[in-house]
Amino acid sequence: MEESRDGDWTLVARKPYFGLPTACPVCLPVYIYLKFARCPFNLEINSAYPDSDQIPYVEGGTYVAYNNEKGGVIQQLKQDGVVDLDSEFSSLPEWVSMKAMMSSWLADAITYELWLGSGENSAKQIYYSDLPWVIGKVLFVKQVYDVKQRFNISKQNAEKKEEERMAVIVSTIASANTMSKNKLFHPCRPTSLDADLVGHVLFTLKALPEDSVIRAALLEHGNLVRYAERHKNDFLTSGQSSASASNFQPPPSAAQASSKPKRKPKREKTEEEKSFQRKAKYFIGAQLVAVLLFLSLLGSSSKADLDEDDED
Amino acid sequence: MAKPDEFKPDPPSENPKTEADDTDDENGDGGYEEEVEDTEEDELDEEEEDEPEPEPRVRTPQSAVRMQRAKLEGLFQRLQTQSVPLRVHDVLIKGNTKTKDYLIESEAALLKNCTTMQEILEVSRAVNFRLQALEVFDSVKITLDSGPPELPGTSNVIVEVQEAKSPLSGEIGAYTKAEARSSTVEGTLKFKNIFGHGDLWDGSFAYGWDHISELSAGVHFPRFRGSSFPLDVRAFLLSQDWLQFSSFKERSMGLSVALLSSRNHDLVYNLGWRTLTDPSQLASRSVRRQLGHSLLSSLKYTFKVDRRNSTLRPVRGYAFAATSQIAGLAPDSRCSRFLRQEVDLRYAIPLGILNSALNFGISGGIVFPWGAGFKNMPSPLPDRFFLGGNSSPISSLGGPTTVWGYRTRGLGPTESRRQLKSNDGDTEDAADPGVDFLGGDLAVTAFADLSLDFPLKWFRDRGIHGHIFASAGNLERLTQNAYKDFSLQKFVSSFRTSVGAGIVVPIQPFRLEVNYYYMMKKFEHDRGKPRFGVTFSM
Repeated sequence: MEESRDGDWTLVARKPYFGLPTACPVCLPVYIYLKFARCPFNLEINSAYPDSDQIPYVEGGTYVAYNNEKGGVIQQLKQDGVVDLDSEFSSLPEWVSMKAMMSSWLADAITYELWLGSGENSAKQIYYSDLPWVIGKVLFVKQVYDVKQRFNISKQNAEKKEEERMAVIVSTIASANTMSKNKLFHPCRPTSLDADLVGHVLFTLKALPEDSVIRAALLEHGNLVRYAERHKNDFLTSGQSSASASNFQPPPSAAQASSKPKRKPKREKTEEEKSFQRKAKYFIGAQLVAVLLFLSLLGSSSKADLDEDDED
Repeated sequence: MAKPDEFKPDPPSENPKTEADDTDDENGDGGYEEEVEDTEEDELDEEEEDEPEPEPRVRTPQSAVRMQRAKLEGLFQRLQTQSVPLRVHDVLIKGNTKTKDYLIESEAALLKNCTTMQEILEVSRAVNFRLQALEVFDSVKITLDSGPPELPGTSNVIVEVQEAKSPLSGEIGAYTKAEARSSTVEGTLKFKNIFGHGDLWDGSFAYGWDHISELSAGVHFPRFRGSSFPLDVRAFLLSQDWLQFSSFKERSMGLSVALLSSRNHDLVYNLGWRTLTDPSQLASRSVRRQLGHSLLSSLKYTFKVDRRNSTLRPVRGYAFAATSQIAGLAPDSRCSRFLRQEVDLRYAIPLGILNSALNFGISGGIVFPWGAGFKNMPSPLPDRFFLGGNSSPISSLGGPTTVWGYRTRGLGPTESRRQLKSNDGDTEDAADPGVDFLGGDLAVTAFADLSLDFPLKWFRDRGIHGHIFASAGNLERLTQNAYKDFSLQKFVSSFRTSVGAGIVVPIQPFRLEVNYYYMMKKFEHDRGKPRFGVTFSM
């Protein structure tokens, strides 16, 4: 993994819960991906911004890879040349299709289960337990509404959507099971697909309740569960990166708050900016002259009134 | 607002009569003069006992008027030279159909303690002004009437009000509210006296100089549950855009309750939901750490004394203000917790030549989080101190905010923003994203200003004068263990300083300055350079 210019890398994710280093289904695959890359990084928790689509994000120095840019954090890290574990497999059609299924169908199914299904309590624990009660309550209601809007769910089509979701879950997990038998998942050379699979499986097993339909469907495929558990033991026992919540200490080589940062070359002003500044000065001068003229006219008219009154 | 009616004795035809006056008021001139007449007559009777009886005269209307006038003049002379003992027996209220009696009675309560006519007149003026200040009456008239005949030396005070015909009114003005951070220009729509308690309901939109916009609705009770202090409750939605300076936007919504508001004291409780966002996604690391939601529950107390002759051009006097804020007053430990203290001192010394004066000022502030692990916690970004801006430190008493010549949030600790990769993937060649100004936990500013009139009469008549000034200021971080590295010597040696001169144009209620600034000492990323500039303040 490319070294950050100023030292360590940091992953900012949601809080740990249910025995997972981060209990958010979007953050966990990124965490696992960085673990697969075997690069030391700090894990920092953000509990104050549950509705942000920027989280998770990876930062190092002045570089930041946000979740809502360029297809996600992992994709951005690959594109920016920071870390790329998929170079050998990204041209394989079955790998690409499985990747698409993992990152869209299965991720959406988990999102639905978390916010609209049996995972409501889990969602509250993961996202809102560190916020004041009123704020957490309002944000939860807003998030549930947003998810319904995203999946276009209404009272009329709720049942139909549920059936469709079940079919998607079953087919996706079955496909993943088939792919795992075809050696698409490589424990020795893990890719972002492995990170997605392990992340989603672990989240489903640990964070969702026992009556969750996804959990029930997943438990029917033991090899997927065993695969995910093996990776969990690997990265949990190999020493977790230090996780610090609000007491994060940035590395000394990072860009510190300073009143004397290092010199950077002054940017040349464009012709447009120079002309704009010149026009701004003329405008301010004209306003000042107008104010002074107004005052003098006001003064002279009131003086003329006074003179007329005196004559009377 | 209707012009306050000055207290005056009613002409004979207009004075309303009480029952007690019907039998006594033979001349139809109202009881006001009658009580005085009774008193005077008693004295005249005593005097007349020693004098030979004058010859009886036939009274013509003209002579009656002359006598009346003579008596009135005698009364006014007595009022000027000696106390005329007179007590208030009762305060009668007329004209209020909607307004509750208790409101007017409580405003007029002081009248019952008066013992002389001069005192009654003076207090009546004050009561008239206070009733007008409620903004629910179109006019207020206070009349003295004679008291019951069995109680000599007493009078009844009649307070006649005319309630506002239209309960709706609009205003545009410039204000500085206790709960606001800066002065604002505001447009307001008011509904008056809906429930008869002198209540004022308003909806307003305000825009402040510090990139603040606020939408709020509130209610004002002049006397809440019989207390002598007013109560103000406001619901607000406030938005501040600091993207250009610190890469974040702030949005707050909540309630603000002014618990105590008097001339020198203000106590305000704020409960608000605050959200910091970064739509630009360019924020530096320290700002990124602060993005998100927080609950602010705070009590803010302000003590202010301003003995200067003017806030626009102080020539003599002093002013002192101290503001203390404690946040985290909620059973929920997950809300924002900090302590904040500001102090301002201003002093003006007249020099005696060309109306010149020397103004000094010093302001300081400190903010620190409290609670478990407070030493490692940062202070909330919106509550830190930021220096710079287009306001004059002479007029304002709002803590350390301005160093002449520096732009808004233009000095202090900074941090590099996020660097975007250029199209060819090379970070080095990407455009410089700039820095975020992070503010400080400790701030100190000071200034000295010499103002003097111009020799030309045209300028003097309009209050336009010149001034020469010098100012200094500095910010420092103390939180997250930075206080361990704090050194007073280093803090003093890193003060930014500026000097300048300019013209001041007082345009009520604003103070407009056109100045030339020169930075004596600045640091790498400070946003200040020798230039002309305009400041607005009030």
